Amino acid sequence: MSQLHDMKLRIEAKIQADGLDAVAVKGKIGLRTGKLLAFIKPDTPDTPEQVVKLKAAAKEILNLSL
Amino acid sequence: MKWNSIRTKVLAALLGCLILGLSGILALMHYSFERNSFALASDSVAGAQKLFTILETREISKMTAASEVLIANPQIRDAFAAKDRTHLLELTAPLYPKLKAEGITNWMFHTSEPEMVVFLRLHNSPKFGDVLNRHIDKEVVRTHAIVTGNELAKAGFAVRILRPFNDSHGNVTGYVEFGEELGQFIHTMRDQTGNEYGLLLNKKYVDRQFWADSSKVWKRRDNWDDNPNFVVADQTTDSANIFRFAGDLSILPNQGNVLERFQSGDSVFVRGIFPVHNAEGKTVGAMFVVRDISSFYLSMRRTQRTLVILSVASLVLGTILILMLLNRLVFRRLERIIVVATRVVGGDYRSEIPVSSTDEVGQFECLFEQFRQVFVDVVSQASSVQEPEMQEK
Repeated sequence: MSQLHDMKLRIEAKIQADGLDAVAVKGKIGLRTGKLLAFIKPDTPDTPEQVVKLKAAAKEILNLSL
Repeated sequence: MKWNSIRTKVLAALLGCLILGLSGILALMHYSFERNSFALASDSVAGAQKLFTILETREISKMTAASEVLIANPQIRDAFAAKDRTHLLELTAPLYPKLKAEGITNWMFHTSEPEMVVFLRLHNSPKFGDVLNRHIDKEVVRTHAIVTGNELAKAGFAVRILRPFNDSHGNVTGYVEFGEELGQFIHTMRDQTGNEYGLLLNKKYVDRQFWADSSKVWKRRDNWDDNPNFVVADQTTDSANIFRFAGDLSILPNQGNVLERFQSGDSVFVRGIFPVHNAEGKTVGAMFVVRDISSFYLSMRRTQRTLVILSVASLVLGTILILMLLNRLVFRRLERIIVVATRVVGGDYRSEIPVSSTDEVGQFECLFEQFRQVFVDVVSQASSVQEPEMQEK
C-alpha cells in the first residue's frame, strides 16, 4: 500500500469521526494539494512532493497530523 | 477580517474618502471663516474711516456755520476790533455753554499777525497771550482764508477751523478758532456701528508733562506708560488689552490695516487700525477699530458641526450601501462559485453553478459552469475511478 493511500484513508476516517461534510472537506484538500483524493489508489506511486502537500493540507483543514 | 480581501480594501478606500472629505470640509470652513473674518475686519476699518470722515466734515460745517454767525454779529466784531477782551468775553461767554453742548469744546480768538497770540480762550478764559505757532496758524496767515483740519495740541487732538475775523471795513482784525475733540467722535461712532474704538496718539507729537498735567485736570488716569509708542487719548471700552498694537503709527497705510483676530472670554473679535492725519498731512494718530464677530463665529461653528455630522452620516450610509451592493452583486456569487468548485473537486459532480445574470460575474459563472462540465466529462472518462466514488455518495 502506498503512503498516499494510507494518508487518504486516515483523512476519510477523521472526516467520518468528526461528522464533517465529506465532499466539501475532500474538495478543499483536493484544491490545496492539486490532486483528486478519489484518484489515490493503493497502487498510486508516492512522490515526496505529493506526500508533503497532503500532510500540509490535512493539518491545515482537519488539524490532523499524518 | 482578511486584510487582503476586496471588502477590506473597499472599506479602507471609503474610510479614506470619509477622512479626506471631512478634512476638506473642515479646511474649507476654516479658510472661509478666515476670509470672512478678514472681510469683516476690512469692512469695519473702511466703514469706520468713512464714518470718521463724514463726522469730521459734518463738524467742520457746523463750526464754519457758527463762525459765520459770529462774524455777522456787529457787537462781537467791534469788541474784537477794539481788542476789548472784557467786553468780548461778556458777549461770547453766554454762547460758549450752548456751543459746548453741541460738541464745540475749543473756542479761541487770536490777534492778527505778526504776533498772532491767543487773545481770548473761551474754554479757559484766564489763560491768554500765548503763541501757538501751529501749522494752521501759519496757513491762515498765509492764505487769509478758512483753514480746517485736525491739529494735535500738547494735550489732545481736535478737528479745528481757523478763519480771519474782519472789521466793518473788511480789514483783518484777528482770527477766530473753533475746535472739537476727536475723542468724542468715537462715542458717536460706537453708537452708530456697535464697534469699539480707540483714538491713539503718537507719543512723538505729545508733550509728556502736558499729558500728565491734563490727566490731572480731566481726572483721568495717566496712561502714558501703557504703550511704548502711543498713548490712548480716548476709548469706548474699559478693556484696555484689546488695543494692542506694536507697530509704528506713522507708517500706517492710508487705507488702514487689518490686524489679527483674537478671543477674549467667550467672544471673538477682529481688529483694525487706520491713520488719522493732522492738517499738515502727518500721521499723528490712529483710530483702532474692534469688531465683535462672536455671532458670526458661533454661526460658522454651528454650520461646521452640522456639515461634519451630515458628511459622516452620509458617508457611513454610503459605505453601508456600497458594501451591501458589493455583497449582493459580487461576493455572495463568488462564494457560491467557490463552494461548487470545492464540492466538484471533492467528488460531487452533480453540483452546478447557477448563472444568475449576464453581468461580469454572471459571465464568469457561465464560463465556470462550462469548465465544470468539461471537468466532469474528463473525470467520467476515467471510469475506473468514477464508479467507486459515485457509489460513496
